[in-house]
Amino acid sequence: MGTRGSVFVEAEPSNPREDVMLEFKALTKRFNDKVAVEDVSLTIPQGQMVGIIGRSGAGKSTLLRMINRLADPSGGELLHKGVDVAKLKGAELRAWRSNCAMVFQQFNLVGRLNVITNVMTGRLHEHGFLSAMLQMFSAQERAFAIRALDRLGMAHTALQQTDTLSGGQMQRVAIARALVQEPEILLADEPIASLDPLNAKLVMDALRAINTEDGLTVICNLHTLDTARAYCDRIIGMQAGRVVFDGAAHELTDAAAREIYGAEAGEAFQEGLTSTSLGGHTRPAPTMPQPARAAVG
Amino acid sequence: MRTFSLAAVGPAEIQAARAQNPKAFGDPLRRALVIGSWAVIGAYLAYSLWLFEFYKLFQASDNALRMITRMFVWQDMDTWMYDQIYVGIAQTIAMAFLGTLLATILALFIAFAAARNTMPMWLPRQATRRVLDVLRGVDQVIWGLVFVRAVGLGPLAGVLAIFVSDTGTLAKLYSEAIENIDKKQVEGVRSTGADGARTIRFGIIPQILPVFISLSLYSFESSTRSATILGLVGAGGVGMVIIERFRAGLFDQVAFVVINVLVVIALIDWISSKIRRRFIGERGH
Amino acid sequence: MAGSMTTSTLGSSAAGGPQAHDAVALFEAHRAALIRQKMWTNILFLVLFLAMLAWSIDVSRFFPERLAQGIPRIFEYFGTILPNLEWDKLFLPRGEDGRAVPGSLTFWYSDFTKYVTLIFETILMAITATILGAAAAFALCFPAARNLSPNGVVGTLCRRVLEICRGVPEILYALVLVFAVGIGPLAGVLAIAIHTAGALGKLFAEVNENASMRPVDGIRAVGGTWFEEIRYGIVPQVLPNFASYALLRFEINVRASSIVGFVGAGGIGQELNHVISFFSDDRVLAVLILIVLTVTIIDLISERVRHAFIGRENLT
Repeated sequence: MGTRGSVFVEAEPSNPREDVMLEFKALTKRFNDKVAVEDVSLTIPQGQMVGIIGRSGAGKSTLLRMINRLADPSGGELLHKGVDVAKLKGAELRAWRSNCAMVFQQFNLVGRLNVITNVMTGRLHEHGFLSAMLQMFSAQERAFAIRALDRLGMAHTALQQTDTLSGGQMQRVAIARALVQEPEILLADEPIASLDPLNAKLVMDALRAINTEDGLTVICNLHTLDTARAYCDRIIGMQAGRVVFDGAAHELTDAAAREIYGAEAGEAFQEGLTSTSLGGHTRPAPTMPQPARAAVG
Repeated sequence: MRTFSLAAVGPAEIQAARAQNPKAFGDPLRRALVIGSWAVIGAYLAYSLWLFEFYKLFQASDNALRMITRMFVWQDMDTWMYDQIYVGIAQTIAMAFLGTLLATILALFIAFAAARNTMPMWLPRQATRRVLDVLRGVDQVIWGLVFVRAVGLGPLAGVLAIFVSDTGTLAKLYSEAIENIDKKQVEGVRSTGADGARTIRFGIIPQILPVFISLSLYSFESSTRSATILGLVGAGGVGMVIIERFRAGLFDQVAFVVINVLVVIALIDWISSKIRRRFIGERGH
Repeated sequence: MAGSMTTSTLGSSAAGGPQAHDAVALFEAHRAALIRQKMWTNILFLVLFLAMLAWSIDVSRFFPERLAQGIPRIFEYFGTILPNLEWDKLFLPRGEDGRAVPGSLTFWYSDFTKYVTLIFETILMAITATILGAAAAFALCFPAARNLSPNGVVGTLCRRVLEICRGVPEILYALVLVFAVGIGPLAGVLAIAIHTAGALGKLFAEVNENASMRPVDGIRAVGGTWFEEIRYGIVPQVLPNFASYALLRFEINVRASSIVGFVGAGGIGQELNHVISFFSDDRVLAVLILIVLTVTIIDLISERVRHAFIGRENLT
């Protein structure tokens, strides 16, 4: 923990506001001559749960991937505690990534390793070359990984090979991996787009619980409107790489949503209808999914 | 602030987690197995390198250095007898071509005797296959050496060596291609009322011909590579040029010849792949 | 051209009006053009082929009179290397003076222990060379894979090194190394190891290029280094394929190590070269049989192992 703090504390604090987690300043991403994200300026306070919505290709994914630098911005700044993370390199970049965990639509787990090793890869940043190459994880880390899995109701699968799990289970393992990173920020890129409604609910509940119980800032790309309304404090709408809506969930009128989704509006609303089990417009009580005791027994 | 952190995992929690999931803390049997197998590999390597007198590698620096410098410093390039080099390369290609062609012709007949669907009788099929195994099992260079002894130094021995070993390889691959033909197409042709010869002509040949051509072209490519080596045992081609000049200590010329051979082989691969595509289309082998 | 006749009869019988007839005529014209074009290229190929054949026969002096001379000598030679076995003496042991009885198996294989020692050396050479070569290939295949190389220069450099390693045949490396480190198995091991590194390195790199990049993204996102991305994201995916390729290579290397002896690089090849070049007797066949047996047995075992521990994964 100490190493991680020092990287960011040493830098010159140009933005001293304590409660601001991330500040986007005219962040832009171009692929050749095509603009994916254009001139995005936002301030995300500590502990907020943010949902980014928009039709596919609106730049949500690129925006998220730029935050933990899986994609490099072409222009603009991204400030975290006064440090422009858009310019980090080498060890500092890796430290930032480990502080800013990511959950993917396709889980991006290592299918041929067992579940607990996959979770422990979240600790890799704290390991030296040899111990990482030889998979030497301490008993404390192993216990921590099991606790993380237990929070998501997945401890009973710890020794299974990961590609034998279902999609929903894999996504929960991926969240456990994010948890053992002990990050300040959790990014989720379409975390429920390839899941069935029941697993989607489990995953979204878990993200919400991490946000409220652990105080992590969660930024989540979502395709369906109702999910965003049900779980997020704040909704950001994107269209053609630009932010076209930024406000609380209740401020998002159907008209505004139609503008964000454009031609895909029908689809987005319909998906919303079929997934009313996710809670509709009422916010569900954020709880961690309970471990499947029966399955363990 | 944070309640869920690594630091919060004390000895008690570790104990509890270990009780809940003992195997997650490392299976001692597995660990012993992994360490054990690495130790075995390490010990084997140490033993075999000692057996092969590995230290000689460090004593040999003088000779090696002289040779390597000679390979990169080319001298008296006008006295290199280029005609001999290029005749050697041409001979290598010719040997590969003739050997593969003869092997293709013979393998065409043998293959039908080694395929299950064209030779239903067990004994002749197995006998054919075992003979083919022996032809393939003896390396081409060994065949080269044997034929040099039998018919004397020169390209004839090389052609024969390529012929014999390619017959073994091609006949086996051809017979597999024959076994893999699609029965439905044959039945389709037969259902139009075609007699035996027409069934073979329109039902079987269109299926196997592209595969056969492709396999023979591949075999030609690989024979050009191996024909280079055949010269080292005296079976003609550029290999004889290489070994003569190597024995004479003309390392710069050896390096030059090898580079030429590599270029020619790359060229042949390229041409052969073009022809393959021309005849068989993209899906070819 | 039976096909074209069928088509035209079909066409004229089905032709209801002038339009349909036009379509048939157009089709026939196209078809004729296509056939003509194809015929010309085929004739061109045939001419080229015949020219190549004539040239090859000329260059390699593959003339009938030489063949007529050579072919009988082959059968003659194969006659001389057949062992002189006599049924009644076949299993006679060595006599009291330590000499084996001519016509017995012991006489044929009088140098049996020497052969076995050399075959053992040959197999050890193949194993050691495969391990060393595979280790080098493993080290180079990740930077050489286009999707993983840390930067373009390193990737190109690694690919070039691998190309040089596999472009030159083992026995040429052996020739050079025998000069450098002296006669003996060390030169053979190194030569085969170098070639193996090149051949396996290319195959390994191709496996890497086909691997899923999602786990790599996952490890990168937790702040992993390049080495950690490879270790956790790629290695678990590709290891079964690597093992399978290495075993296949081991089978090839057993053959290779049995011939590098021809240039003095150790193994049974040295003995084979010796008996072929200096004797014309049953010892040649004795060594050849042992080599074929060894190669066949190793192939069978290796195939078993491959199927046993890679099994279905490789089939999918």
